[in-house]
Amino acid sequence: MTAVLTHLLKPSLRPFTVLAGAVIVLALIDRGTGYFFSLGTVFSVMQLFATFGLVALGLGLSILVREFDLSVAGIVGLAGCIAVMTGVENPWLGALFGVAAGVASGTLQGLIMTRLGLSSVGVTLGGLLTLQGITYVLTENKTIGYPNVAVSLELNAPIAHLLSVRSAVVLAVFAATALVMHYTHLGRDVIATGSDRRASRIAGLNTDRVVVGVFAMSGASAALAGVLLSYSLGAASPIALADVLAPAAAAAIVGGVSVVGGRGTAMGIAAGVLTLCILRSGLSAIGVEPYVHDLVTGGILFAIAILDAPDLARRITAWRLDRQERRARASAGQP
Amino acid sequence: MSDTTLRTRLGLDRIQTRHFVLAVRIAAGSAIAIFALSTPGFTSPLSINALLNAISFIGCVAVGMTFITMTGNIMSLCLGATVSASALIFLASLSLGIIPAFLAAILFGVVITGLQGAIVGYFRANPILVSIAGLSLLIGGAAFATGGQRIYPGGEGLQVFKGRLFGIPVEAIYFFATVIVGQLILSWTRIGREMTMVGSNPRAANAAGIDTASAITVAYLLAGACSAVSGVLLAARYGSGDMELGTGYDYTAIAAVLVGGTAIQGGSGSVFRTFIGVTVIAIIEVVLLLRGFSQQLQYLITGVIVLVVIMLHTIGERR
Repeated sequence: MTAVLTHLLKPSLRPFTVLAGAVIVLALIDRGTGYFFSLGTVFSVMQLFATFGLVALGLGLSILVREFDLSVAGIVGLAGCIAVMTGVENPWLGALFGVAAGVASGTLQGLIMTRLGLSSVGVTLGGLLTLQGITYVLTENKTIGYPNVAVSLELNAPIAHLLSVRSAVVLAVFAATALVMHYTHLGRDVIATGSDRRASRIAGLNTDRVVVGVFAMSGASAALAGVLLSYSLGAASPIALADVLAPAAAAAIVGGVSVVGGRGTAMGIAAGVLTLCILRSGLSAIGVEPYVHDLVTGGILFAIAILDAPDLARRITAWRLDRQERRARASAGQP
Repeated sequence: MSDTTLRTRLGLDRIQTRHFVLAVRIAAGSAIAIFALSTPGFTSPLSINALLNAISFIGCVAVGMTFITMTGNIMSLCLGATVSASALIFLASLSLGIIPAFLAAILFGVVITGLQGAIVGYFRANPILVSIAGLSLLIGGAAFATGGQRIYPGGEGLQVFKGRLFGIPVEAIYFFATVIVGQLILSWTRIGREMTMVGSNPRAANAAGIDTASAITVAYLLAGACSAVSGVLLAARYGSGDMELGTGYDYTAIAAVLVGGTAIQGGSGSVFRTFIGVTVIAIIEVVLLLRGFSQQLQYLITGVIVLVVIMLHTIGERR
């Protein structure tokens, strides 16, 4: 039993175990009333998944190479605004401009980091503030409506009652990323760069190029998330999207991306995002107050933070030895 | 990470770099001073007061963030929520009197943030993940406790934390006190020195017999106390509060820490530098406002300046 549990909690399988656990617990609470296991719940989970998934994917890829791309939060907003402003006639063109802006900002920040040897938190924090500033200037601090209602309806149109066009696109991007990461040398290079950058460089890998590539991909991914969200809401505004960073980071780490780099998969990130989305939609579907979702998410994140902590085992062993010693001393003291 | 730092790119040796950095800092400092003083109305009492107010609320959080950054734990995404939550605690417990309410708010900040610090320190858990977990629990807990309602003061005595003393806004006096106490703790107490050592090289600090776990815990604890001070000041200023009060303060605070020149990887920096960082950002904002730039352009220019300053600071750093 413990062997099975240890196996299921192995880093590579844990995201899926946590996901299954969340589904089982929600099903038990639901007890056959059918609110949780309904097509409607699946659809709304997938809509949430489409909103946060690609941001988590972008951020997760940057964590994979041991960096942290705070700017994804800014790119989501900027790309959404660009798409809404340029894509009224031709939504494809707007989407192209939005994603191009994401790629450009990711590449530029990646180049600044690798060429000047700067840390990612500082550069992407500056990037986040700058991107937000650009968004404010472009939108003149107002919400921009998207008059092309047909596109909004099209994106949210259900496919087989489970997915919308939007969530299907997001799933496809995840699948493509997973295939690239698993079957091509690109994926191997990213993992190598994240595991030990110096060793990878000595082995002949151009790690700077990998880092720039990852940030470009991270920017593209977050930008696509922003474009899809703004199109489907039919509006874009500079502030509404600011709160995506914390959920995205949480999803990536629940999805098994290791914060010390070099460990994590696209499918794991997908499972992490799904877990958080299922908790949010599932808990509201069975009629729990919204704050329970925050408390449960916080609890899970704390559990993962502690379980993943490198010094946990050492501390527990130290405490146990200490107690044993004290007990031994106490029994020796008795006649 | 990369061997090509800006220093080697510019072909400077160590001493030249130091001179270069100094020159850049003096040039930037005088540029800001000239820019500010040449702006009509900048030296008027009204705009100075606006400046002092602007730096006080965010400044306390930034001082707290400095401790976390100094110990090598990058940043906490939870300090903004801690500001809001301690403001709510302060307002709700005002019926007990002003001093118990103040102490309750500080204690709350200390406990909530200190617990996160203990998890980071004792288990070496990831600081950003722990702070996101704390953020989630705080938001959930606050929604449970308040039912999403605004909280109004349950008693009198708010004027202790607002208004003026000797012509200076009271908020600014609390902020200056926080800066001075923070700097004293960081550079003159044993635990402060230990925090710096843990940040500059955790392994060496451990080998030297420093209790790294408790140094990190104390850093977080102080960050919680500073955030709670900011929460109390905000609550007094607005006379009511909700969880939106401190939203976004985390990002502004870490921007101020980095603009001040505290190293993101920890071990090098000071509370005084953070004070400079907060002031520089606030001066830029006030000047842009006085010169009639639109709100949106203010955001953009401030963002670009923060980015450039962070890049300039790292010229002299070896990685």
